[in-house]
Amino acid sequence: MNSLLLKKVLLGLSLTTALLVAGEQFSMSAADKAMYEELKENNPADMNVEEGMELFEELGDEAALAKFLEIDEKKLPEYITGFPRYIKKMGNVVGLDQVLQVMQMEQTKKKDALNSESMTNLLAYVKSLGNDLPINIDVKENKEMEAAHALGEKLYLEERGYRGLSCNSCHALPGTVLRTQILPEMGAQNTGGTWPGYRMTLSKVVTLQERSRTCMRDAGQAPLPLGSKEMVALEVYITNLAKNNKHKVEIPGLKR
Amino acid sequence: MNKSIRPFAFLSFALLAVTAVYASDMTKSYEMPDASQIVKDDLIPGATKYTMPKDCKLDDLESIARGEYMFHNLNSKNDKKENLPKGMKAPKEGEVKAYGNCVACHNIEGAVGGGTVGPPLVGYKANFMDTKVRDAQFVYQKIADPRVDANTTAMTINLTSQMFDESEICDITAYVIQAKKEKIRKK
Ligand code: HEC
Ligand code: HEC
Repeated sequence: MNSLLLKKVLLGLSLTTALLVAGEQFSMSAADKAMYEELKENNPADMNVEEGMELFEELGDEAALAKFLEIDEKKLPEYITGFPRYIKKMGNVVGLDQVLQVMQMEQTKKKDALNSESMTNLLAYVKSLGNDLPINIDVKENKEMEAAHALGEKLYLEERGYRGLSCNSCHALPGTVLRTQILPEMGAQNTGGTWPGYRMTLSKVVTLQERSRTCMRDAGQAPLPLGSKEMVALEVYITNLAKNNKHKVEIPGLKR
Repeated sequence: MNKSIRPFAFLSFALLAVTAVYASDMTKSYEMPDASQIVKDDLIPGATKYTMPKDCKLDDLESIARGEYMFHNLNSKNDKKENLPKGMKAPKEGEVKAYGNCVACHNIEGAVGGGTVGPPLVGYKANFMDTKVRDAQFVYQKIADPRVDANTTAMTINLTSQMFDESEICDITAYVIQAKKEKIRKK
């Protein structure tokens, strides 16, 4: 069987996928909007960030992270706003969550899976250390970052999957409406600086990569695995769009 | 090599080797699955020209009804046997068939939550067919593979991507180009 055809058949085999697809079709009701305003005052994700803080303490806090990254601890917040980064000793352009995994391993702790709640909380906290600072990812810093950015751009623009859509098909059309949802322009609305964020429709905290996987499923693309070179490259590209719009890190975001 | 620097050279070599092992170990201590094959398998062939099959029955009411169903629905999850238009290909046991979900982007008669990503297709027969601005072949091609005249369009690719087969593209074309009666859709 042709692989596209196979995917078409597999689509929806998973109940959660089907529910997500259906759930994504409905925009905010008046009640939802009221809740959104209320939550803005008091983002439920603040609790997750706090939990992440405790987990980070167990890992040795800023001092341990700065040491691992071989930078001055005072520079840590600014350095954090530049992720995903090329970390030479890790051999790849990586996200902060992957850095934290290596730290866990080095301390002979069990590493938290990228899709685990604990890792999402940990990531949210560590990224929030860069809050209110400008996003300063440098996609020209070295050839690895250049390659990651180029790959991210290619994946953003390439039509894939059984509906023949690219990320750009929808995200280059800010303000138009897809199924009652206003299409977001990722650069202008600081997508790169606001995840992990709390998703009201799912009542939980989600990473940028997990959020992107939802779009991939909905648009008929095979969702790329978390932490893959390709997924990290997309994060590089989306983070750079936010940087180009002079945005700051604002974790945790609050999303529909 | 000069004898006196040899121990030093050896030492730095040993250090390098240790670092290398350390680095390769580190690569294994975080998740970075390879997705290149997933991306490759997901690519679709380039823009393809199609000729509308001669046996497309563009004014067949059953064909139009099937087209309408595929236009307005996301997938077969909410199918109810009694509402299913005659001749719809049923998904196999345990499978979910993806439909056009065209209404996500296009407004049309009877649309629920029609989007604005694509142009409205309301009054398509009167506005575009009767005036000869468009013909059935144009609409068929547009639905089958819109890239032939708009390379980076947001419009979905429905035949080249194997989302639908030819007869299903006929059905959807028929629905788009025919006059719609009031309340043609049963909710
Ligand atoms: C068919 C249209 C469509 C396609 C294709 C699409 N998206 Fe989206 N995307 C949306 C819509 C609509 C939203 C906003 C939904 C909402 O209100 O929650 C969104 C939201 C997002 C967000 C959250 C933005 C924010 O900050 O709130 C991310 C991240 C995202 N998309 C990533 C992607 C990526 C990566 C791809 C391609 C692999 C992609 N999208 C393809 C329609 C699409
Ligand atoms: C993700 C958005 C999206 C979806 C889903 C979508 N379309 Fe479109 N459609 C567009 C856009 C954008 C255009 C205009 C650009 C173009 O012509 O390619 C368009 C153009 C068209 C046109 C040409 C109108 C004209 O006369 O110029 C037709 C017909 C059409 N779509 C039918 C459909 C049908 C049928 C489906 C479902 C099988 C569908 N569309 C799904 C976005 C979409």
